[in-house]
Amino acid sequence: MEHLAPIVKFGGGVNLDFAAIIMIVVTSLVAFILARLSVRNLSVENPGKLQNFMEWVVEFVSNVIGMATDFKRGRVYLTLGLTLILYIFIGNMLGLPFNFITEAHHGHATFLGMELFMDGKDEAEFAWWKSPTADASMTMALALTVIVISHIQGVRHNRKHYLKHYFEPWPFFLPINIIETLSKPLTLGLRLFGNIYAGEVMIGVILGMGWVGIPALLLWQGFSVFVGAIQAFVFTMLTMVYIGQASIHEENH
Amino acid sequence: MGGLFNWTSFVIQIIAFGILYLLLSKFAFKPLFGIMEKRRQMVKDQMDSAEKNRADAAQFLEDQKQALQQARKEAHDIIELAKSTGSKQADEIVTAARNEAVRLKDEALRDIEAEKNKAIASLKAQVSGLSVLIASKIIEKQIDEQTQSQLVDQYLQEVGKKS
Repeated sequence: MEHLAPIVKFGGGVNLDFAAIIMIVVTSLVAFILARLSVRNLSVENPGKLQNFMEWVVEFVSNVIGMATDFKRGRVYLTLGLTLILYIFIGNMLGLPFNFITEAHHGHATFLGMELFMDGKDEAEFAWWKSPTADASMTMALALTVIVISHIQGVRHNRKHYLKHYFEPWPFFLPINIIETLSKPLTLGLRLFGNIYAGEVMIGVILGMGWVGIPALLLWQGFSVFVGAIQAFVFTMLTMVYIGQASIHEENH
Repeated sequence: MGGLFNWTSFVIQIIAFGILYLLLSKFAFKPLFGIMEKRRQMVKDQMDSAEKNRADAAQFLEDQKQALQQARKEAHDIIELAKSTGSKQADEIVTAARNEAVRLKDEALRDIEAEKNKAIASLKAQVSGLSVLIASKIIEKQIDEQTQSQLVDQYLQEVGKKS
């Protein structure tokens, strides 16, 4: 049976998806607590394990920025990159180990006294636990955020080259350049969504196989960890590439 | 399902991400970056001081070498000086000894001369006395003693001139 998202419909197009909200909050909390724990006993000479790990992440993101653009000028985006990679990686991982499903009967279910939307069906199962990155709304939110940042920074710091690049190499390339610009957030957000959503769908399919599927499940979850890490890296990398392209003009360009 | 895209989730995600960014930036990464910068500074300081120590050590070694060289040179000079002083002193001693010897010889010669003269003088006196005696014995008081001695003196003087 297909799982529904536990959505409460309000007027004016406001659809509160509690699974999404829970996962956003949980992922943010895990990311924040992890980062906070890692800086709990900061030490210059004798860093703890978590501090070492977090410093490694910082170095890693610094290298990503260095690869994508000029690190000296891209340094201000270090915190953005770190937040992105932590949030996306943790989000990708959270959907893997388990799910939490409630069943609803007689065409009616409530959550905190609010009626859940059941699409007119009598029987439904609600999935409360998923990767926040397995939802296109959330990945597109992240993608649009960074793309908007890249455009704002492009206009603020690099106006001449930023505006000029729409007319390059010739003015009649403008439509193509605009399509390219519009496609960036789409590809950025949907790539992440597609990878993680497909992973979760695949886990659902394997679970449908019953006991036979356990080795396949282990294998696929391992692979999903890999995919999740790669996607977090790719998202951060592309963010830095886009911001670098738009806002940091390289002299030898 | 309520469609693939949910604008409410979209907006919530943007807001949540902004909040997470601010919280992480303020409470986690700011202190972490500070510590990392401090460590970078510390490593740089230590490398600088190591470099400085190395330069100091090299400088010290150079100084020591120069001091050793200087000491060697001074020792050489002292030995040279001692050698030349020694030979000069030896020369002086030899010269002084030679002078002393000459002086002693001269003195001896003078003494000898004086003794000789004294001996001659006493001999003269004795000879004159003896000759007076002999002459008086021979002449038997023909001449008084004083005239006699005058004569002998005259003769002896003549003898002295001829000899």
